[in-house]
Amino acid sequence: MNNNKATLRTALALGAVSLGMMSQLALAAKKDYLVTAARPDKVVVVDAAERKVVNTFTIPNTAKGNSVAGLTVSRDGKVAYVVHNRWETVSGIDLDTGKEVFRAELSSPGIRGKAHFAIDVSPDGKELAVHVSPTKLKLGEYEVQDPYIAVYDTSAGIGAEPLRKLPAPRRTTTLAYSPDYKRLYAYSWDMVVLDPQTGKQIGVHPWRSWKREGYGEPDTLSVSPQFEQANEFATPYFIDYTDKNGKKVTKAGVWSLDLAKDKVRFSEFEGELVMPFSTVINPVRRNEAYTAYTQLTKNDIDTGKLIKRVDLDHTFYTVNVSSDGKELYVGGTINEIAVYDTETLEKKDTIIISEGDQVLSSMRMVQR
Amino acid sequence: MRAHSASVIPLRPLLLSMAISAVPFLAQADTKGAAEALLNSKCQTCHLPTDKGLNRIDESRRTPEGWDMTIVRMMVSHGVELTPEERQTLVKYLADTRGLAPEESAAHRYLLERDFTLIEQPKDQLVADTCARCHSYGRTGLQRRTEEDWRKLVHYHVGQYPVIEIQQGGRDRDWWEIASGEVPKRLDKLYGLDSEAWRKWLQHESVSAAGQWRVVGHRPGWGAYEGQATISSNGDDHYSIKLTLNYANGKQETAEGKAVLYTGYEWRATVKQGDMNVRQVFTLSPDGQTLSGRWYQAGIDAIGGRFEAVRDGKEAPARLLAVEPSYIKAGTTQQVTLYGSNLSGDVSLGEGVEVLKVVERGTGKLVVEARAAAGAKDGVRAVKVGDSQLDKGLALYQKLDYISIEPDQAMARIGGNGGAMPKIPVQFESVGYANGPDGKPGTADDIRLGYFPAKWTLDNLNAYAAQLKDAEYSGRLQEDGLFIPGDAGPNPKRKFGTNNAGELKVTAVVDDAGHKVEASKPLVVTVQRWNDPSIR
Repeated sequence: MNNNKATLRTALALGAVSLGMMSQLALAAKKDYLVTAARPDKVVVVDAAERKVVNTFTIPNTAKGNSVAGLTVSRDGKVAYVVHNRWETVSGIDLDTGKEVFRAELSSPGIRGKAHFAIDVSPDGKELAVHVSPTKLKLGEYEVQDPYIAVYDTSAGIGAEPLRKLPAPRRTTTLAYSPDYKRLYAYSWDMVVLDPQTGKQIGVHPWRSWKREGYGEPDTLSVSPQFEQANEFATPYFIDYTDKNGKKVTKAGVWSLDLAKDKVRFSEFEGELVMPFSTVINPVRRNEAYTAYTQLTKNDIDTGKLIKRVDLDHTFYTVNVSSDGKELYVGGTINEIAVYDTETLEKKDTIIISEGDQVLSSMRMVQR
Repeated sequence: MRAHSASVIPLRPLLLSMAISAVPFLAQADTKGAAEALLNSKCQTCHLPTDKGLNRIDESRRTPEGWDMTIVRMMVSHGVELTPEERQTLVKYLADTRGLAPEESAAHRYLLERDFTLIEQPKDQLVADTCARCHSYGRTGLQRRTEEDWRKLVHYHVGQYPVIEIQQGGRDRDWWEIASGEVPKRLDKLYGLDSEAWRKWLQHESVSAAGQWRVVGHRPGWGAYEGQATISSNGDDHYSIKLTLNYANGKQETAEGKAVLYTGYEWRATVKQGDMNVRQVFTLSPDGQTLSGRWYQAGIDAIGGRFEAVRDGKEAPARLLAVEPSYIKAGTTQQVTLYGSNLSGDVSLGEGVEVLKVVERGTGKLVVEARAAAGAKDGVRAVKVGDSQLDKGLALYQKLDYISIEPDQAMARIGGNGGAMPKIPVQFESVGYANGPDGKPGTADDIRLGYFPAKWTLDNLNAYAAQLKDAEYSGRLQEDGLFIPGDAGPNPKRKFGTNNAGELKVTAVVDDAGHKVEASKPLVVTVQRWNDPSIR
C-alpha cells in the first residue's frame, strides 16, 4: 500500500495532469517494471518487487554485433522503443506480445543515419523523437550531414517515416519531453529547449557556457536517461575548481533539470572525489540523488552533502529508483540488476536478467 | 611466377589484420603492370579518375603499413575482394609510388618499429588535441595528404564513428567545427601531399640490400649482441636473410627469413629467430651502406631489440661499431671488446685509458685489457682502431651517481588465460649515469655510462593500489627485470571482481662494487589492446 500511496503522491506532486490514465483506481493496480535490453537482441521486462524477469523479447531483423543503445518506454508501459541494428534502426516492441509494432530505418540508400542514446516518446505516447546523425556515403568518400531530430507517429507501424525533421544541435546525448509536451529538451553542450512541433529553440540552460568564478568547464558523458521516475533529468559531472590560493581540485557533482518546472539545480559533493557514471533522483525525497559506477552513492543535492557511499560488487552503469523511493536498481555492464535500499544503501537482492550483457543499454522504469 | 610464395608465410586473416599489427608483407607477385591493372579494376570502381588522378588514392601518400591498413579496411568494410598476392602487390606498388621519403618517416619510426615506450612530443597542439587523443600523434605524421583529403578524412571519422563528438577527448570542444575547419588547413601545412623530399626521393637511384653485413645491437634483458647477416636478392625488391647473433651474455641465436624492400628503403622481414617469430622493421640508408632499426617478437612487440648493420666483406670500409662494456671505472682494469668490420691498426681507448694488452685480434672483433687511471676525468672517450673511430666509445667514471630505469614509459597488458590476446610484458633495464662536470643529476651534461645489472623489486604504487593489492595480482617481476603481467579476465578474488590491472612501482638497486644506487618508476598494468592496427 505504501508503494501505491507514494506513487500517487509523486504523481500529484509532479502535477502530472497529462497522465490522464493514472486515476487512483488504475494506480492501485500498478506495479513497477524495469525495462532494459541485453545482448545480442533482447528486450527484458523485470517485475521489480518480485525480482523476476516476466518477459524476454527478441528484436527482429537486427545486426547482432552491437548492443542496444537508447531505450524509452511509453508512459502507459505498453511499448518499448529501442535503438538497435548497429544503431541504424528504431523499433517499438509491444511489452505484452513481444511483437514489433513500430520500425523506422534511420539509413536509406546513400545515407547512413545513426542514433545513440537520445530518444524519447511524447507523454501521450503518440510521438517518438530520435536524434539522428546522418552521413552521405559517396563514391570513395563520406560527407557528414547536419544532425536532426526525427519525429515519428508511433502508430505508423513498420517502415515508419518521420512526420517532421527538426534541426538539432550536434552531440545530443539525451532527448526528453516535458510532461506537458510544451518543451523538448536536447542535451548537447548546453541543455537546449526546443518547441516539439517546430524545433524552434525556445530556451537554453547553460552547461558548457555555464560560468562560475573559480570553476572551469564541466564535463559529463550523460548517456543513461533515467529521468522518468522523478521527471527530473540528472547527470553527474566533473569540474575543476581553483580556490583563492590557487589550489586546483577536481570535484564531482550532480546537475539536474526538473522537466515539469523547467528548473535547474546542481551541487558538487564535498570530500573525496567519487567517480559516478549515471544519476537518478528520488521521486519521493527529491533532495536525494544516487550515483552508480563502482560505488553507489547517496547525495543531498540541496546541501551538497555526500550522505553515504558503498562499494558495488562490480562496475555498473545505470541506476533507477522505485516509485515509492525506497529501492534502487543498479544495472548496465553485465547481466544482472542489483537491488539496494535507498535509506541504508544495503544490498537487498540480485536479479539475473539474461544470458547476454546489458552493456550501455538504458534501464527504464514504468508502471503497469 | 612467384605467386605460390604467399603460402610460405600466410597473411593473417583479414579481421585479425585490422586488429593485429605487422602483416608479413611477403607474398611476391608485384610487378608494376599487375599492380596498375589491379588498381584500375579493383579500386577505380569507387575511386574515379579526376584531374588529379584517382579520387583519394592520388591525394595521399603513406608508409607500407599505412597503405595496408587502408586496403584491409576496403576489404573488410567495403567488400573489395583481393587475394593475399593481390593485396601485397597493391601495398608494394602504392608504397613505392605514393610513399614517404626517408626524412618524412624519420620522426615517427618508433611507431613502425612498434616501440611504444616513449611519450610523444607533438609538433602542433591543435593537431594533437584533434587526432592524438585517440591515435598516436605519429600516425598523423606518417601520412601526407592534400588539405581537401585531410578534410575528407575528418568526414570519414564522424561518418564511421559518430560517437567521436560524445566521447571524452572530443566533447570538450565544438569538435566537428574545429576538426573540419582549421585542422585540415594546419595538416596541409605540416603534412601536405606535395614535398621536395618526396620529389627528390623519386629520382633517387635504388640500391640493393643484398650482400654481407656486420651486425651489432642491443636486446633489453639480454644485453649487447653482435653478428653477421647474409642477404640475397630474389628479385623485385624481395630478399632472403640469414643471421647469426652472439650475445654478450653468452647466448647465441640464428635467424632466417624473407624480406621486402618498400619505397626503396623500408625493409620489412619476417624471420624465425631462435624459437621466436620475429619481424624486422629496418631502414636501408640511401647509399645502401647501413641497415638499421628494430626487431620484435610477432604479436608481443615489447620483446625485441635495436639493430645496426654495415657492409661487411673485403671491399667494405673499415667501421668500428660497438664497445662492450660501454663503461670503465677509474682505477680499475677490465677487458673491453670492440666490434666492427675490417678493423686493423692500433687500438686507442682515449685519454686516461691504457691498453695493457691485446687479448684477441680479428678484423671483426678485438678484445683488449684496459686500465683506467685512478684520477682520470669523467667523460665519454672516442675509441679508435686504426682509422676507424667510434665517438661515443667508452665512458670513464669515478662514481656511479645515479641510475635510471628504462623503458621511459612502462606499460604492461594482462593477457592469456584462454583469451585471444597474449600477455604484453615489460623488460626493465637499469642505466647508470655520472653527474658530469656540473656535479648535478638530471642535467644536459650527465654522462650515460650504460646498462648495469640490478636487483629488482615490485611494490604497490599508491595507497589505492595497496588497498586493491595490485602487487599481489597484477604480475611478477623476474630477477632479470622482465615483468610478466597477470592473467586476463575478471578475477573473483579481487575487490569489484575486477581484472588484474594495477598500478605498480618497480625498484632497481645497483651495487657498483659496494656502492648501492637505487631508482624506482611507476609501472601501469592495463587491459588487453583489442584494436591494435599496424600503426597505432
